[in-house]
Amino acid sequence: MSSRTGEPIMRSAAWRISLWAALAFACGALFVFVFLHRFVADDIQRRSDAWLSGEVEVLGDVAERTPKDALYGRIVGEVAELAGKEVPNKLSSDSSSNDSVFFLQTGFDGSLKLWVGTGNGAPNLKAIQASNILPDRPTDLHVNGFAIPFRVISLRAEDGSRIYLGLSERDELRVLRSLRLRFILLWLLLVLLGFGIVFFTTRRMLSLIREITEAASRIGHSDLSTRVPTTERNDEVGHLARTLNRMLDRIESSMHQLHTITDSLAHDLRSPLTAIRGKLEMSLSPAESEQAESVISAIEELDRLTEFLNQSLDVAEAKADALRLNPTEIDLDDLFRVMIDLYEPSMSDKGLQIKLRSGGPLKIAADEALIHRMVANLFDNELKHLPPACTVTIQLKAENDFASVVLEDNGPGFAPEVSPHLFERRVKGRESNGHGLGLAFVDAVARAHGGTVTACNLDGGGAQIAVTLPLASKAAMPS
Amino acid sequence: MHYYPFMRLLLVEDELDIQSFLRHSLEDAGYQVEAAGDGKTAERLAIEGVYDILIVDLGLPDQDGISLILRLRQLGVKAPVLILSARRSVDDRVRGLEQGGDDYLTKPFALAELLARLRNLLKRNSPPGNEATRLRVLDLELDLLRREASRSGQIIQLTPQEFVLLEYLCRNAGRVVTRSMILDQVWGMRIQPDTNVVDVHIYRLRGKVDGVGQQPLIRTLRGVGYVLKDR
Repeated sequence: MSSRTGEPIMRSAAWRISLWAALAFACGALFVFVFLHRFVADDIQRRSDAWLSGEVEVLGDVAERTPKDALYGRIVGEVAELAGKEVPNKLSSDSSSNDSVFFLQTGFDGSLKLWVGTGNGAPNLKAIQASNILPDRPTDLHVNGFAIPFRVISLRAEDGSRIYLGLSERDELRVLRSLRLRFILLWLLLVLLGFGIVFFTTRRMLSLIREITEAASRIGHSDLSTRVPTTERNDEVGHLARTLNRMLDRIESSMHQLHTITDSLAHDLRSPLTAIRGKLEMSLSPAESEQAESVISAIEELDRLTEFLNQSLDVAEAKADALRLNPTEIDLDDLFRVMIDLYEPSMSDKGLQIKLRSGGPLKIAADEALIHRMVANLFDNELKHLPPACTVTIQLKAENDFASVVLEDNGPGFAPEVSPHLFERRVKGRESNGHGLGLAFVDAVARAHGGTVTACNLDGGGAQIAVTLPLASKAAMPS
Repeated sequence: MHYYPFMRLLLVEDELDIQSFLRHSLEDAGYQVEAAGDGKTAERLAIEGVYDILIVDLGLPDQDGISLILRLRQLGVKAPVLILSARRSVDDRVRGLEQGGDDYLTKPFALAELLARLRNLLKRNSPPGNEATRLRVLDLELDLLRREASRSGQIIQLTPQEFVLLEYLCRNAGRVVTRSMILDQVWGMRIQPDTNVVDVHIYRLRGKVDGVGQQPLIRTLRGVGYVLKDR
């Protein structure tokens, strides 16, 4: 019921919420980045394509106007080389060897006429011949010996030769790569930061809720006077705390009303009972007379009535979870030894045997008067219902945080007609002369203390009643 | 029979029926009884007179019984109080008073138990005499140190529990003890079993104490309890 602080953090709701939030955030950011990346890549390519088509036109112009003499190659080559120095997106680092641009001119027979660039241009020509490059349309060209493709544009000169201008996509790819790298770093950082922020805020929120839960679970069946902690904040958590407290107010007031009713009922019945009992006793006093017998049985009836009144009010309060408890530390081992001492003669008179199996002290925090009466009820129940020559075995042990009391007998077991209703009021076997509150009372007391009672018939014959009661922990003990 | 002659007792009880039968029984038992029906009268009487013991009902018409007791304590009334309660649960404050030397009894009660509790309170409050190491009732003798009982010089074999029970009866010799008093004093439980567990204990004890041909000492008063005869 109560949440433990020692729980692994990965099982907390805050962890799950932040995980999902971070995942959603990461996906969203990734989606936006993919979109931006495409936009940037397209834009860079558009710019380099624009440069390429501009330059190829200039070069075509120059090639056309330059006379085809010995200087032709040099003039066009220099213009091409100059153009290569104005490459867009060019990184400043590589300046000496300009391998990012090539210029190639073929004759109308397709042979290499002029080459400006790194190497002898043979692989470039081969690649150009292998692929079909349309004029005025920039195309990606993979050249043998170069890892990165070139962007190539071609122009057909009027003399039938073709001019090819190629620009390595290396710089473009490098820009994009560095963009991606920076994005991934920032993205990781942001996701981590977002995860952290969400985690800590939800944890704070949830810890407020946990405080409320813990306080609410401490407000047990009997102590309704405390309230869950409220905050000044006007958010959902504050609202929850205030709603809980208002609910507790209402429960407390109806509980109080129930107590008033049962108390005044008890008082109104007990006062006349006291007077009647007193008068009966006085009429009995000097010597045993003729009427003595009837007076005595009247007194005995009266005492039975009183006990019935007590128990039915207790059961009624317990059914409404309103039994008032005065917890003290009780050693069940001790209590059962005393009870066995008390009941043993009556049991052996009836031919019953009683055995206790206990592993030493077993301490619970409970209302002493109620527990005493509860245990007496269990013993009375066995004593009244078992036929002679039966054995009652009582086993006491600690199980997890509970003290477990198991009563087993080898008698006839519970009658089938009462079995499903054992813990209800006024349920008793045909031959029982009790008022039918015994086990209902046991159930009521156990439940008021946060324990349980189960009853069943054993397979090999006989009945079993098992009671669990929470063990005394130092924290739960009143100082 | 009357061990505390002329003990002055203040009875604070608003139910006239109960007040009148209590007054009669208490006077029969040798107390000088003054009765009050409400807290105010009780306060006045307690200041005017000196009482050895008080009986206070918790449900008074004008104030709470416990407030009255606390008020009387403030006024310097030191006599022990027997609290009568018709309430179902024993209040923490009653427990406090119980620890302070007072006692409580829930209604309805047996007269014998009321008288026994009064005697206990008075005994607790009187200066401790020499605690006897032997108890003697007629020819029955209990050695409290050796935990041995004998009748006419003949040792009676008793279990420890039986010895405690017999000791309790001897200490109250001549007076009625009820089943619930025995359960409370010998077994330390305020329970009302609806079986005859106490009777069986007494029956067994009687079998050992009242041998054949001896005068029976343990007498059963049906509907009331038991008495150990002292004459």
